[in-house]
Amino acid sequence: MARTKGYPEALEKKLRDQRYVREDSNPDFLKNVKSISRTIAHMCYQCGTCTGSCPSAPRSSYRIRNFMRRAVLGLENEALTDPDLWLCTTCYSCTDRCPRDIAPTDVIMSMRNLAFKRDIVPVNFLKTVQAIYSSGHGVPNNDVNRAAREKLGLTRDPPTTHMYPEYIKGIQTILNHYKLKANADRIVKEREG
Amino acid sequence: MAEKKATTKKAPSKKEDSKKVAPVKQETKKAAAPAAKPKAAPADAPAQAATVMPTMNPGDARVGVFICHCGTNIAGSMDIEAVQEASKKVPHVAYVDNYKYMCSMPGQTVINKAVKEHKLTAVVVAACTPRLHEPTFRTATKDAGLNPFRFEMANIRDQNSWVHMHDREGSTDKAIDAIKIAVAKAALLQDLHPKSVPVEKAAMVVGAGVAGMQAALDLNAAGIKTYLIESDMSIGGRMSQLDKTFPTLDCSQCILTPKMVDVGRAENIDLMTWSEVHEVEGYIGNFDVTIRKKARGVMTPKEAEAKGIVGGGCNGCGDCENVCPVVKPNEFEVGMKPRKAIYINHPQVVPLIYTIDFNSCVKCGLCVTACGPEKRAIDLEMKDEFIKVKVGTVILATGYDIFPIENKKEWGYKKYENVISSLEFERLICASGPTGGHLVRPSDGETPKRVAFVLCAGSRDNTGIGKPYCSRFCCMYSLKHAHQIIEKIPGCIPYLFYMDIRSFGKMYEEFYYRIQDEGAKFIRGRVANILEDPKTKNLHVYTDDTLLNRPIDMEVDLVVLAAAIEPKADTNRTRKLFGVSCSMDGWLLEAHPKLNPCGTTTAGVFLAGVCQGPKDIPDTVASAEGAASAASIPIHMGAVELEPYFAMCIEDKCAGCGMCVNLCPYSALSLVEKDGRTVMQVTEAKCKGCGTCGGFCPGGAIWMNHFATPQIVAQIDAFLLGGEQ
Ligand SMILES: Cc1cc2nc3c(=O)[nH]c(=O)nc-3n(C[C@H](O)[C@H](O)[C@H](O)COP(=O)(O)OP(=O)(O)OC[C@H]3O[C@@H](n4cnc5c(N)ncnc54)[C@H](O)[C@@H]3O)c2cc1C
Ligand code: SF4
Ligand code: SF4
Ligand code: SF4
Ligand code: SF4
Repeated sequence: MARTKGYPEALEKKLRDQRYVREDSNPDFLKNVKSISRTIAHMCYQCGTCTGSCPSAPRSSYRIRNFMRRAVLGLENEALTDPDLWLCTTCYSCTDRCPRDIAPTDVIMSMRNLAFKRDIVPVNFLKTVQAIYSSGHGVPNNDVNRAAREKLGLTRDPPTTHMYPEYIKGIQTILNHYKLKANADRIVKEREG
Repeated sequence: MAEKKATTKKAPSKKEDSKKVAPVKQETKKAAAPAAKPKAAPADAPAQAATVMPTMNPGDARVGVFICHCGTNIAGSMDIEAVQEASKKVPHVAYVDNYKYMCSMPGQTVINKAVKEHKLTAVVVAACTPRLHEPTFRTATKDAGLNPFRFEMANIRDQNSWVHMHDREGSTDKAIDAIKIAVAKAALLQDLHPKSVPVEKAAMVVGAGVAGMQAALDLNAAGIKTYLIESDMSIGGRMSQLDKTFPTLDCSQCILTPKMVDVGRAENIDLMTWSEVHEVEGYIGNFDVTIRKKARGVMTPKEAEAKGIVGGGCNGCGDCENVCPVVKPNEFEVGMKPRKAIYINHPQVVPLIYTIDFNSCVKCGLCVTACGPEKRAIDLEMKDEFIKVKVGTVILATGYDIFPIENKKEWGYKKYENVISSLEFERLICASGPTGGHLVRPSDGETPKRVAFVLCAGSRDNTGIGKPYCSRFCCMYSLKHAHQIIEKIPGCIPYLFYMDIRSFGKMYEEFYYRIQDEGAKFIRGRVANILEDPKTKNLHVYTDDTLLNRPIDMEVDLVVLAAAIEPKADTNRTRKLFGVSCSMDGWLLEAHPKLNPCGTTTAGVFLAGVCQGPKDIPDTVASAEGAASAASIPIHMGAVELEPYFAMCIEDKCAGCGMCVNLCPYSALSLVEKDGRTVMQVTEAKCKGCGTCGGFCPGGAIWMNHFATPQIVAQIDAFLLGGEQ
């Protein structure tokens, strides 16, 4: 399988660049990305404004422009299996500045949707789902926050499900409707046993 | 339908119709028309027509239909055979044929032969648009022995095959409809004779940048009196603000100043600076233009002499400037140098006459005293003057402005001191500029060691804030700027942040090579963001080095934005005065982007330079010479033919109410006394055939040549009733 001696995997990865259009390209991928994101993803001219704006890029290997390129070329596997897909902070800086008026953030969101359909999703995202299910918050309140809020003259808990736990039921109904919780539980269980 | 038919026929003249003479008379006239050469001289024709025109009957009209394939442009999306068969069944059609390219020589021969062999009275070509080929087929019709206006075009390409490319059946049906409609009109076409009007042997050029100057110099050389109108105080335009010019790096002033002097001296050029076009009337050959000479507060020697001040007028000594207490930023120096309320842009201005900015002048009178009793050049009470001139043709050369790049907030222009525009760079690097040619940081006057150039700043931008087009010369001038700092500041490194380097002209790619070899650094990435270090006032430029796939944060001393350009502020008002359109981006619209880039859809008005779209100097000058040549043709011909589509008054029916007179947007109508009655009269040369009056007249007394009511009604009938009359 490996085509070389030595570090075959790294080389395989490099060789993929020469093969991508032939083997990996799925034109439906671009179509799906566009219909979910509702942005003109095919119009990217690779200027780099998005990566240049991205707060995640200097701190990680995440390159939003790469994902735009993959969308244009329909490189579905490459995009959806790249763990960097989950490093966007959804700050929307790239969307603000893209000169082609594309919303790269929404492209990333659509790819995450498509990835989730294939059960590709990091466990920490799934745990967020579980947290929302049980508390109504992705990041529930904690004692440090409560003290800080008190100092600022705020109530110890915010006027959300923390203050009105009776509404958690509503949130759970929504998550159940989309089978989000069930899927999250299932995948977490598969991964963590 | 019977009713409609009756109205169309009867309406023009009940009297004739009741006698049943008219139709017969009309038929004989129609039948005779094709063969008959115009009997009267063109000028008399309308008068003659006025007496016979009111009746119309297709009679035994014999229309030929010629269907063009336009290669596969048309034939690829419809069934030509079916269109041909259906056309044969349309009333009055005597002959149908098709050909691969109807506009080609063999195609025109098909028409010629058919007209003669089948004794056709009118020609219908189903092809592209009248805009493209109406003149071609008119000529073909004429060559075949018919009056050229016995031709009608059915557009089955631009508005049919091109839009319904994937609907073969639908486009076939639509083409058949279009042909029926065209045939209905063709059967009712009349002989028309274009009117010839003399052309004033003078031209006007609006805007005296390098484009306007070149056009005026060419017209001058051709012996044509030329009014050169410039709204600023001096000629030269943007080029006089530049330091050096790519790709040869010759100094802009050195190559421009001699031209400016030539313009000032040229025998046939009447240069009017500090002036603008106020009002325009008329048409090709006879434009009556009112020029507003803005009050400049200072008299030229000529103007002084006219006022009886012998040996007076401004000699450019500048004594006034020294005493004037009002200080304002100098726009020519992009605000980086002060000027007074009485000022000149720069020492080489043509004409060398001072100008008072009355918006800031406090009328203290110090300048009047300084100027002295001999020259007496200054008149603080000067008023705008209006001057009327008549010209045959006009060239618009109104140039461009720099896009307000502060609107793109992420680059911090006008927020961070050390972010400047490319035009500011030109002034700072120029020996005659505000710093004597020393490039410095505005924040502290220090010489920069690292300079970032942001290309495509506001161009190629679809966000709605910037401009969607490429500004075309910013790549090249940024290369030039890089060279200039390498040359002037040892050790200073220019970084060009670019998406593509567009070095398309002669010797341009070679220039790119040279600048890269000299040490300029190129980073392929559009600048995402610029932030200032508040302590050092240095700038952090953020982008993605797309070729390394690595985000970049580069600290530099100075940032130069290669800002997009946009049409000059007043362009919209000026173009409307001349009836010229603009494209979606605001640049003035040429008659044809490839085959007629200097012309406009208004006969006699031409475009030169950047006002038509971004151009560097070589292209600007070439376009100016093209416009000058095109604008001189009608003048050298001495006369032009006007399309005979003017309105005519059916005097019997005119009640003399005069309501049409006020409606006409071209002031072509008036009321006159004739045989003891008040009737409307048309000045044919002024009438553009817009039809406003014809559609309005409550008595149906206005006849629109070539778009007569019966012709239009027949077209509608043909569509709604399938071609039966
Ligand atoms: C920073 C910079 C550097 C450049 N460097 C180069 C270079 O090195 N080489 C090169 O080839 N090109 C260069 N260019 C491009 C060059 O400036 C243009 O090609 C050229 O100036 C176009 O000339 P123009 O006559 O069409 O327009 P303009 O120079 O804009 O002239 C238009 C004139 O018309 C007048 N006007 C406008 N409206 C009216 C009105 N309504 N009535 C009367 N008058 C009016 C204006 O006052 C002006 O004088 C550069 C441009 C910029 C911005
Ligand atoms: S900013 Fe827009 S056009 Fe530029 S690379 Fe990113 S997505 Fe593509
Ligand atoms: S929205 Fe995501 S991809 Fe865009 S700049 Fe922010 S973190 Fe980067
Ligand atoms: S009159 Fe006006 S222009 Fe003359 S010196 Fe006074 S302020 Fe200046
Ligand atoms: S000329 Fe170059 S810098 Fe200017 S808009 Fe075009 S590509 Fe961008």
